[in-house]
Formats: sequence, structure tokens, C-alpha cells
Amino acid sequence: MSHPMNPEVGNHVHHHAHHFSSAEHEFETAKEGMWVFMVTEVLMVGALFVGYVIFRALYPEAFHEAHKLLNVKLGALNTVVLIVSSMTMVLGVGAAQRGNNKKALTMLGITIGLGFCFLIVKYFEYSHKFHEGMLTAGFFTFDGLSASTSHVPLFFSFYFMMTGIHAFHVIVGMCLITWMIIRIRRGEITPAFYTPVELVGFYWHFVDIVWIYLFPLLYLLG
Amino acid sequence: MANTNTPEVHGDNYLNYSKGLWSWLTTRDHKRIGLMYLATVLTFFLVGGIFALLIRIELFTPGKTIVDAVTYNKFFTYHGAIMVFLVIIPAIPGAIGNFVLPMMLGARDVAFPKLNLLSYYLYLAGAIFAVVSLFAGGADTGWTFYTPYSIKTSGTVILVVFGAFIAGFASILTGLNFIVSIHKLRAPGLTWSRLPLMLWALYATSVMQVLATPVLAITLLLLIFERVTHIGIFDPALGGDAVLFQHFFWFYSHPAVYIMILPAMGVIAEIIPVFSRKPMFGYRAIALSSFGIALVAFLVWGHHMFVTGQSELANFVFSLLTMFVAVPTGVKVFSWVATMYKGSIRFNAPMLYAMGFIELFTIGGLTGVFLATLSINVHLTDTYFVIAHFHYVMVGGTIMGLLGGMHYWFPKVIGKMYNEVSARIAFIFVIIGFNLTFFPQFIAGAEGMPRRYWSYLPEFTLWNQLSTIGSWFLAAGFFYTAYYLIRDARKGPKSGDNPWEALTLEWQTPSPPPHENFKEIPIVETWPYDYKPTAGLKS
Amino acid sequence: MSSQNNDHSHSHHYILPDSKAIKTAIALLILTGVTVALSYVHLGRFNFLVGMIVATMKASLVAGIFMNLAKDRRSNLVIFLTSFVFLGVFVVLTSTDLLYRGDVYVKGPLIRDTGVSKFKKSWEPSPELVAHGKAIFAQQCVACHGVEGKGDGPAAAALNPHPQNFHVNEGWKNGRKPSQIFKTLKEGIPGSAMASFATLPMDDRWGLTHYVESLGTEILKDTTQDLAAIGIDPTKESAGSDVAKSIPIDIAIKRTAVDGDKNSQNTAEGHPELESYNNRLKSKTFSK
Repeated sequence: MSHPMNPEVGNHVHHHAHHFSSAEHEFETAKEGMWVFMVTEVLMVGALFVGYVIFRALYPEAFHEAHKLLNVKLGALNTVVLIVSSMTMVLGVGAAQRGNNKKALTMLGITIGLGFCFLIVKYFEYSHKFHEGMLTAGFFTFDGLSASTSHVPLFFSFYFMMTGIHAFHVIVGMCLITWMIIRIRRGEITPAFYTPVELVGFYWHFVDIVWIYLFPLLYLLG
Repeated sequence: MANTNTPEVHGDNYLNYSKGLWSWLTTRDHKRIGLMYLATVLTFFLVGGIFALLIRIELFTPGKTIVDAVTYNKFFTYHGAIMVFLVIIPAIPGAIGNFVLPMMLGARDVAFPKLNLLSYYLYLAGAIFAVVSLFAGGADTGWTFYTPYSIKTSGTVILVVFGAFIAGFASILTGLNFIVSIHKLRAPGLTWSRLPLMLWALYATSVMQVLATPVLAITLLLLIFERVTHIGIFDPALGGDAVLFQHFFWFYSHPAVYIMILPAMGVIAEIIPVFSRKPMFGYRAIALSSFGIALVAFLVWGHHMFVTGQSELANFVFSLLTMFVAVPTGVKVFSWVATMYKGSIRFNAPMLYAMGFIELFTIGGLTGVFLATLSINVHLTDTYFVIAHFHYVMVGGTIMGLLGGMHYWFPKVIGKMYNEVSARIAFIFVIIGFNLTFFPQFIAGAEGMPRRYWSYLPEFTLWNQLSTIGSWFLAAGFFYTAYYLIRDARKGPKSGDNPWEALTLEWQTPSPPPHENFKEIPIVETWPYDYKPTAGLKS
Repeated sequence: MSSQNNDHSHSHHYILPDSKAIKTAIALLILTGVTVALSYVHLGRFNFLVGMIVATMKASLVAGIFMNLAKDRRSNLVIFLTSFVFLGVFVVLTSTDLLYRGDVYVKGPLIRDTGVSKFKKSWEPSPELVAHGKAIFAQQCVACHGVEGKGDGPAAAALNPHPQNFHVNEGWKNGRKPSQIFKTLKEGIPGSAMASFATLPMDDRWGLTHYVESLGTEILKDTTQDLAAIGIDPTKESAGSDVAKSIPIDIAIKRTAVDGDKNSQNTAEGHPELESYNNRLKSKTFSK
């Protein structure tokens, strides 16, 4: 199917799939599908939280000492970055829903940019840790802590797994938003059909929610 | 979805709707996807079955019979991993569920057809990883991959674990698709109290798939990272806890066994009222019990860990909670039997398999209660008693359900009828072979024969030899079934649209069904189990 | 959840006004500041709870407003919250194991012996000791030795060598005198399934000894040398205490992984975690 390139207002007519009774039906179904997908993400990521919480309960002194080695300022900065990016995402989706494609593209572009900021901050955090020898348990060589905190390396294993998987989801989200930018530029997103953009927005907000829990758990309360 | 803009001649049913291998490989049609699942599942059933036969040959004599112990460890690892992840979990939802669910809903397809196709390819990719791992040397950890051995062993653990990881996403997406389909695609008039029991079963299964499988995903991912980056979470040498791996693993794998059995129970619930010509007894109880099982499934995983050094508190809690799962299960068995009572029974193959299911699943289920009892479990754990228990429920349960469903819906899928005499002969081989294979294992286990051992004490020889001979009968039954089903799919007599005179929606459309399932979306006005015993019968 | 799939009514799609989006973002940033500030206030164990509550408030804002859950169908909210219920089940039930290892809820080898004996000169038989031993026997021994001590317990079928039949004179590896039975209980029999029961208190072990002795055809008596061989001074009133200290499972796992079977002596030396475990034990009382 060919699509006229029209960045102002999408004029592509969307045909809903044959097994739905209306576009509305299709939209509500897609939305519910997204929420069921959220359930799977909660359980997957949540299991990591469960492991973390249990080890923290078992070795509170070690985890307390370890968490002090994290940079609270950078973590807080990243939290701000993600919150603002969620706002720009929602503004972008709203613009697409109203047919204001130019604003939608701007907002989505800013969201991706903020995603890059997040990753750059993470890069600085990680490279500092690698440099200091604060790695996963088997490779941990940092020795600036007292001997009684023998489970400190485990904290860092959790830190890398949880923030690493989160960063992976940020990257996936940025790719999805890029794909949405392409579709908007192709004119495929209109006030009558904006399902993909809204659902990609949900994904991005979920990534934000996970960080909302990660930040205090790892950086503040260890 | 209308996917062509060049004029094309389409056949009148889904099989000849469009031609060529590419049209199958890129199909969005749930019926074709179901058949692709079936072909792949049965292929891996063969592979896993060959490993089973090899195991039984090795165990024909104590000491070495055909292979050394390390190779034997790989045999049971792959038998378990292939059967669990590539056969029993995907079989009924992927093959039968995909085919039948949209039609039973009165819909034209599942909610997300492209996701459905993706599911199939993820399953296939996972399977390929497993096969590659085998050729690369194989893992010898057992299908449960317990740490710390799975961290330290030199086998191809990462490859096979990654295969299971990918295949898990197939399971998740199928579950997601089914849940949303059942919520959103029911035909007008198809209220919850008119939903076929197969759909109640698939619904509960899908909820479990969506909640539990992600935890397996993260567990396997963590295991891979353990091996590569030494995160130490499950490694005692680095301060981690090996038993925590088992909690993570069984949080999924226990609901997984209900993911395996519940769809089979759905199949049985469809077959029994049709072949008893009686309304389903206890419809509401059966429907709710599916969710009862799904809920309790998540509360009991620690009963796989009674002797791991788990705390006494956990042992007590899990043993107590496990007792509850027998209740909704018993509700089902009693309701099925009550449906048969004073019905006019037709002993076609689907019914034979349904009755076989009830016999074998009851035995397997009751022995589960023995194992749930903490004080007895301490003696029976890691013996052949456990192996017999789960084969009774998984093979005697799920495979019976799969075979029964394959025969029941054979005319719907192909439009032809299988040969009833062939089916009965095969059934006899299967039921006798199955009992001969696995009942002696209960005895051997109760007498103390450990599982996953390449050798055994001479006093267990008789039970092992009986079991091996039984496996040959069982294999013969399966091979013969494959033979006549393929033969009759090609050359069998036309079956007519509804040879069983069933009332559920999928039978109210031609057999084989058209691409779009229904010319017009049906309007449902009746309960699907309103069978009157005096309806015209075909034997 | 109703079957509404052919509903053609156009439900207006709620589009979040920009102003609301911005206000929500400001609220989230303020709450972030609150989280950071609160983390510097020492509330002890409540820091964790407070932190999680604030995080949940922020998550609710994102889900409720950015993801429109507040105005969407109720079913989507139910679906989303269900996932947290099961996550809760996972963490709670796993914690019943991981956080309760080594705690004592039933009688067993982890009971600490206080060294005070209820029985005077417990190496000499008495009806009370035999009765006490019979009760312990029913808990500890019947699985292998059978309800009547005939060596026919349910686990016996798989054992080689076979558990001892206490009613006959043949087969006693260490002999049938009380001191020899006591020695067997303390050390076990290497090369067989008879484990060491050195973690049982002395009273229990002497009770078992005299009960098992009583099952035979005659009651044998120990000489002073027999008693000396197991460290008993017959002039004293009490047999003292020689209960082996047992170690918690998680430490056992660690030691198995680290140094294999080399240190199978069950002592606390060189293991700081074990010291802290012993201190925790001291502060509790146990029912006997």
C-alpha cells in the first residue's frame, strides 16, 4: 500500500482488521492487549525486585554499605530526565490524537533525546564503576569497604542486572518511538487512528514506572 | 485480513484458500498456524520420545547397557526439556486451541493474528536452539537446571536455556492473545454462562501463562548471566543461595504443570457430553474450578523443594497449601463422571481417550496427594515414584487429551473421518503400553529406586524390564496412530460438517471451515451442552 | 467484563489536556524531591516503607494520568493490579523459606541442650527413662527401625545394610550394652544409613538407649570400664552435656560449595555468620 508523504495531517484511511466489528473495537482490543503485556513485564522485572528485596533482608549491613557507593545525584538526575520524557511523550501522543502532527513529531523527538540523556548518564555511572572494580560478584575487586560486609558484591550484581535490563528497555522504547515518528511522517497516524502511538506511549510510561521504583530502592534505601 | 489487491482465486476452505508454501509460512490464519504448531509439536514429540526409548533401553539392565553415565544424563535432560518446553506446554493451546478457540467464540480470528504467527516462530526458534545445543555437546543438568551444578558444568547449558527462554515468549504471547480474544471477540449472545468449557480451560491456562512464564524468563536469563558474568545470586561460593534458584524456577514450573493439564481437561469436558448425549453436569463448577486450579497453582511450588533444606516453616506452609489443589481437580473428575452416568455412551476414539484420561489422571492425581504429604515426600522424593506420578498426569493426562482432541476435531480440521477400527487398536496399545511402562515405576520408587540414575540395584531389575517392554507397546501405539491419521487425512471418507452432532459453534460451520470461519457472525441463543439423549445418533 | 464487542456507539476517547500533563509532571518532580529528602531522615525500618509509598504514589500518577487508567475501563485496572498480587505471593512465600532458615518450629536435632539433666545418673535404666526414650523413638527412629523396632520401617526396604532389628541378638555392630548403644547413637555407623544423633540432648539419647535395650531378650549392664570408655564418671550425678552444635542450612550450603567435605566437624570456629547465628539462638527459648 502506498502512502502519500504528508507531514501536516495524516490522511491515510485506516481499515480495521476483518475480525473486528469496528475501528473502536480494534482500538479497545489493542489497548487491553497492551495492559496484558504490562502484566508480563511486571512479573518479569518484579522477580528481580523480589530477589533484591530478599537479599537485602538477609544482608542489610552489606547492602547498606554498598548502596553508598552509588551516585545519588546522577540517579536523581536520571529520574528527572525520565519524568520529563514521560511528559513529552504524553504531550506528543495528545498532539497526534488531535491531528497536530508537527507538534507530535517535535515532542516525540524530544522524548528520544531525553532517552539519550538517560543512557549517557548511565554510561558515566557504569564506566566509573568498572574503573573502580565495582563489578558483578565474580569480578568484584573494589576493596574500599570493611571486611564484615562480605555480601557487597551481590548488591552490585543486582544493580547491574536491574539497571541493565531497564536500560535495554529504554533502548527498545527509543526504537519504538523512532518507528512512530516514521509512521507519523508517512501520514499513517490520524485523529481517527492513533492506536500505535498511544500504546508505544504506554510502553514508555512503564519504563518510567520501573525506574520510579528502582531509584529509591537501589540509590536511596540500600 | 484482506491481504491481496490482485484478483486471485481463493479455494472454498482454509486449506486451499491460497496455495504455496510461502502462503502458509506468512499466514495470519489461526487455523493454519494451529496446524503448523501441530506438525512441529509432533515432530518434537518424536524426538523426545526417542530419548525416552533410549533411556528405557539403558535401564533394561543394571550397569551399562548402551551408553555411559554422562551420556545418559544428557538423555534425560533432553527428554525432559523437549517434552516439557516443546511438546506438552505448547501442544494443546498452540495446536488445538489456536484452531478451535476463535471458532468457538464465533469470531473470524484471534485478537492479534500477526502476534500469533510471531508466537509460532518464537517457538520454532527456541526449538532450534535446543537442537543446536544437543549437537554442540548437550547439557547434563536435568531439565530443571538446578544451581550450582548448572553454573559449573561444562555442557551446552547456555544454548538450551536460551532456547527455553525464547520458547517461553511464544507461550506468553499465545496466552495474551487468548485472554484478549475471549474478552473482546465473543459473538453476540455468547455470555460467560454459555462459554464452552474448553474456552474456560484455555482462559485459565492463559492467565497462568501470562503470570508465570515471565518469571521463568528472568530465571533463565539470570542463569545465563551467572555463567557468563558470575553475578553470584544463585552461587553459594559468591554469597548467593542455590535454593533461591529453585524458588524462582518452580514459581513458574509448578503453574506450568497446570498449564499442561488444564487444556487437556478442557478437551475432555468437550468430548464427554457429546459422547454421552447428556447435558454437562456441574458446568458452573467445572468452569470455576479451572480458575480455582489456576489460583492455587501459584501457591504451592515449594512442594518440589521439601528436601532441599528449605525452612520448616516453608515446608509446612507449602504442604498445607498443596492439599487444596486436589479440591477443584476432584470437582472436575466427579462432574465428568456424573455427566456420563445414565448417558448413552458412544465409544468412539475421542471417548475412549477421555475415559482413559479419567482413569490415568485420577491415579496420577491421587499419587500427587501422597507426594504433597510432607512426611511421605521425604521418603519418595527423587525416586521413581515421582517419575511415575508425573508421567501418569502428563502423558496419561495431557497426551490422552491431545490424542482425544486430535480425533474429536479431525473431521473439523480435515473434513474427512479417521478409521475407527484403527483408532481402537491403537488405543489398546497406548493404554496397555502406558500402564505397563509406568505402573512398575510406582513400585520401584516406593521400594527406593532413585531417579536420574544411570544404574540401579539388582532388586529393581524386574520393574525396569517390565517398564521397558511397556515403552515398546506405547511407542507402537503412537507410531500406528501417526500412520493411520496421515493415511486417513489423505484418503479417509468425507465426514460431513458435524459428524458428532455437537452443539458448540465450531461445528456449526463447514468442515473444513472456510478461511473466514463463518459467512456471517453467528448469534448465540443457547447453552452448548443441551444434549438430548434421543437426538438422532450415528455410531 | 461484558460482551460488548459489537457495540457501535462511539465512546469518546479522552485526550489528556496539555495543562494536566504538565501539572502531573510537576507533581512527580516534587515527589521525587520528597523521596530524596526523606531518605536523609532516619526512620529506621520505616524508611523502606515510606520510600515505597512515595514511589507508589508516583507510579499511580503515571499509570492513572499518563496511561489514562483513571478514566479507562475498570477491566484494564484489574488486569494491571492482578500482576502485583501474584508478585506479592511470590515474595511472601519465598520469604517463608529464605528468611526463616535455621529457626526452630518443631522438635528436632536443632534443640540446644542446656546441660541440665532431668534424670539423675541417666546411664542407669529406669521406667521413666524408658518411657521418655519410647516417645523419642517414635519421632526419630521408626522410619527405618519400624514401629516396634524390628528393623522393618518404611524406609528400611531401600537400605543396605538393613536397619537393626532390636529384638534379636545378631548384627549389632558395636554391641548391645547400653554404653555401646549410646556410642552408636553418638557416632552413627559409617558405611550405613545410621546417622549420628549427637545433636539430640543427652536425656533423649539415654532414654533411647534404655528403650532399645529393653526391646531385647535380656537387659545387659555396663561395667565401670564401659562407662569410662564413653566418658561417664559413675560417681557423678549427671552425664554432663556433649551435644554437637549443628549449623544452619545456608551455612552448610556455603561450606559445601567452598571447601567440599573437608570440615565436617560442625564447629563455629572461623565462621562469623555462625557466631551471629548462635547469638540469635541464645536470645530465644525453645519448647522441649
